[in-house]
Amino acid sequence: MGFARVCAVTSREADTPTPAEIAKAFAEGRPDSLSDAYQRWSTMIFTLALRALGNRADAEDVTQQVFVSAWRGRANFDPDSGQLGAWLTGITRHRIADRLTARSRELRNSEAAAKLAEERPASVVDDRTVDRVVIADELARLGDPRRTILRLAFYEDLTHPQIAEQLDLPLGTVKSHIRRGLLHLRGQLKEVTGDDTSR
Amino acid sequence: MTTHLDDELLAQWAMGEGGPDESGTAHLASCDRCTTTLAELQLMLGEMHDLPQLETPPAELWARITDELSLDPEDAEDAPVAPVTRLPEERRTAASRRFRGRTLAVAATVAALLGAGVGVGGTALLRDDEKAPPVEVAIKLDPLEGKAGAGTADLVQATSGGQLKVTASGLSANQGFYEVWMINTDGKRMVSLGVLNPSSGGTFQIPGQIIAQGYRIIDISLEPDDGNPEHSHDSIIRGTLPA
Repeated sequence: MGFARVCAVTSREADTPTPAEIAKAFAEGRPDSLSDAYQRWSTMIFTLALRALGNRADAEDVTQQVFVSAWRGRANFDPDSGQLGAWLTGITRHRIADRLTARSRELRNSEAAAKLAEERPASVVDDRTVDRVVIADELARLGDPRRTILRLAFYEDLTHPQIAEQLDLPLGTVKSHIRRGLLHLRGQLKEVTGDDTSR
Repeated sequence: MTTHLDDELLAQWAMGEGGPDESGTAHLASCDRCTTTLAELQLMLGEMHDLPQLETPPAELWARITDELSLDPEDAEDAPVAPVTRLPEERRTAASRRFRGRTLAVAATVAALLGAGVGVGGTALLRDDEKAPPVEVAIKLDPLEGKAGAGTADLVQATSGGQLKVTASGLSANQGFYEVWMINTDGKRMVSLGVLNPSSGGTFQIPGQIIAQGYRIIDISLEPDDGNPEHSHDSIIRGTLPA
């Protein structure tokens, strides 16, 4: 078997904790769980903050605040009553809203900008933005070939026959992956946003 | 007791492929569960045509967080490279540190491998002043022991970041699909770049700064379409980007 076998390295052994395992360890206050949570959710949170705030420095600050306040407030997280991803998403919404409020306050203080401030949107995060970021994050976590197929379908807007041709896969396989991928994403989306009471 | 409609069928209808026949329509008219599922899928599909590109926070953000929380610097040092979530496999990197015991053995096998020069093709520096982004490094992908096939991998710097242009020849499987991986020379971590069409090749976005982190082995594996995102352990051709 030679090389083909040995060099597939440890991807199988190094089993990543599941979100539920991270949540449990987080609630117990085990420091390792914070880096696991960061690894799992920082891209989603940073992307959400960046989309909502349109500024990298602000998005970095908000991401930092989310993890810091989540860790300090971990006693308020109950792993039996909700998902850690949903809880962190809720905190992210609040921190983004705080930042937007602070911005419009600054704007109002400047007389010239007062009128502009009136026209600014309310300090809330659009639900659709949250949904899209969550979907993008979950799509990126699919295993191949499903991930590549869904990327081509939804980022590149290719038709199913075009995807089948591009990947040299049977059309039926492509369609089946898209259907199952959609059902999976719907399930994940519901978990993260479905019982988020803050929306 | 009502038998619900098949979820995959609902997904198909949500995409506008066909639609409910008479009995399907009758069922939908009387079933909240199936109606809700269909509506949720349609709503989600509406949002999926404008999906954001994911953005990874800068590496130093983790240090800022552990600083503010005064957590053990040891933890901070071991910090996760912020995950590149385009790659599901990336999540394993955090876990890898829990397997130090295994590291030596694995490192040894990888060292043996690299020592054997498997897959290290001739490297060439090509400069291209055309509009196409310049190729920084081009390597050959050679078959592993007992395998057949060949390929090339070109590292390209585009405005959107590093890209890997992969071609292959002599790969023909009746079953499954080919997948492009970047394996870390530490032998502990790998990330998947995506599905490779063996006849037309493909261009793949390289996430973040992973080459600098040691993900230099380019590996093409044959994967069964079994829903398992892990590497199949069936590598076919491979090459290593120069350090």
